[in-house]
Amino acid sequence: MNWRPFIEHSDVLWGGFVLTLELMFFGVLGSSAVGLAVGAFANSKQFYVKKFASAYIEVMRNVPLVVKLFFLYFVVGLNAFPAALLSLIIHQSAFIADVTAAGLRSVPHEQTEAAFTTGLGSGQTFVSVLLPQFLRVTIPPFTNQAVELLKNSALVSLIGLQDLTFVAQNIQIETYRYRESFIVVTAVYVMLTFCIVGAMALLQRRLLTRS
Amino acid sequence: MSPDVAPRVGQLSRDQAIWFAAVILSILVFAYLARHLEWETLWRYRGFLARGLATSIVLTVLSVAFGIVIGAILAAARLYGGKWVRYPVIALIELIRSVPQLLILLWVFFVVPELTGKTFTPEVSGFLALTVIATGYLAEVIRGGLMSVNRIQVESGYATGLSRRTIFLSIVLPQAIRNMLPALLATWVMLFKTTTLVYVIGVVEFFEAATIVNQRELIPYTIYTLLAVVYFICCYALSVIVHRLDPKYVLRSA
Repeated sequence: MNWRPFIEHSDVLWGGFVLTLELMFFGVLGSSAVGLAVGAFANSKQFYVKKFASAYIEVMRNVPLVVKLFFLYFVVGLNAFPAALLSLIIHQSAFIADVTAAGLRSVPHEQTEAAFTTGLGSGQTFVSVLLPQFLRVTIPPFTNQAVELLKNSALVSLIGLQDLTFVAQNIQIETYRYRESFIVVTAVYVMLTFCIVGAMALLQRRLLTRS
Repeated sequence: MSPDVAPRVGQLSRDQAIWFAAVILSILVFAYLARHLEWETLWRYRGFLARGLATSIVLTVLSVAFGIVIGAILAAARLYGGKWVRYPVIALIELIRSVPQLLILLWVFFVVPELTGKTFTPEVSGFLALTVIATGYLAEVIRGGLMSVNRIQVESGYATGLSRRTIFLSIVLPQAIRNMLPALLATWVMLFKTTTLVYVIGVVEFFEAATIVNQRELIPYTIYTLLAVVYFICCYALSVIVHRLDPKYVLRSA
């Protein structure tokens, strides 16, 4: 293994790392927001709200991310970054919505009634009765979805965004050596995954042992 | 529910009526948009596109089949192996599951010819990469299935004097397979969507076939609509089976 050609090109690696981080951060934020809303709608008592939410979940889950990405980029004609971010959010939010809906269903509604009976307000009921139970079931699958989003963000290299995967391929093309850059990029992805898993485990311990 | 609110048999409730209206409306909107689709052009390429779709399906089926076999071995190693077997297997599974599929694809594409000293067709490389991905996910699915069987069942087996082999084959395995079936099919759906990526290394599967048609005819709107619709139909059909098999989903609809 010869690291010299790789080190000469390593400055672009930082740019790729930052772009992947940006996509991950805004992607997790956006898809959580959309996913939580759609998941709540999927549990709505209104028949058609529920149906539309589940239709959104089914359609977005069952179309490959690349198709959505290329549709937004080539057909709708968005710029590369908005197209990438939007398709990641649309794709992952469907999965998060499904997780959210299942999590909401898992909290029996007798709990709400019992909390009201003991004299808690609706805000207090939500924060100290429903939310901890909801989080206990949803944090592990949420962690999974955040990791999936990170992994899916590698696909944005296909429309020319210079994320980690794009940079790795670029260095490979320029230096005719794939090993060095691929090893480093793989290690970075694994490290980011561990960061997500670790952060979520910490969050879970913080949130759930206090109550 | 009071009798005046409950819909009579053969009559639609207000919500159902709105839903049917919405479905019909969206079909009409879709039909209106579909006016502009170039069906004649697509029809000329039907053989080519069908071959692409067949390639996608064959890749999925093969990689899931091999993934189940290798994944079962890895899951067994992770559950029943000693320290020196278990930890490397855990590391391997977690590595596969935490690296983007695209990167795994590129790794396999570059590494396997170097290790074997032979050059492979893109199809074989794609199949190998998909098998690696399937193995990582299915190993966990199979492990989850095996772990879902209650320990008391195993202990009762011992108590009634059954051998280890009989306990595994006739008590653990049947229940494990039943419990892992939904997740297995969900992985299948995921893998079918992942086949879209192998176009990167030059496999002409459905996505690449459609892209080639698009490059020749410049009909992006038609092509990407077709892709979305076809993938949706294929994956949704599988998802419906998953829902049927999953006791949680059955409970939900009841």
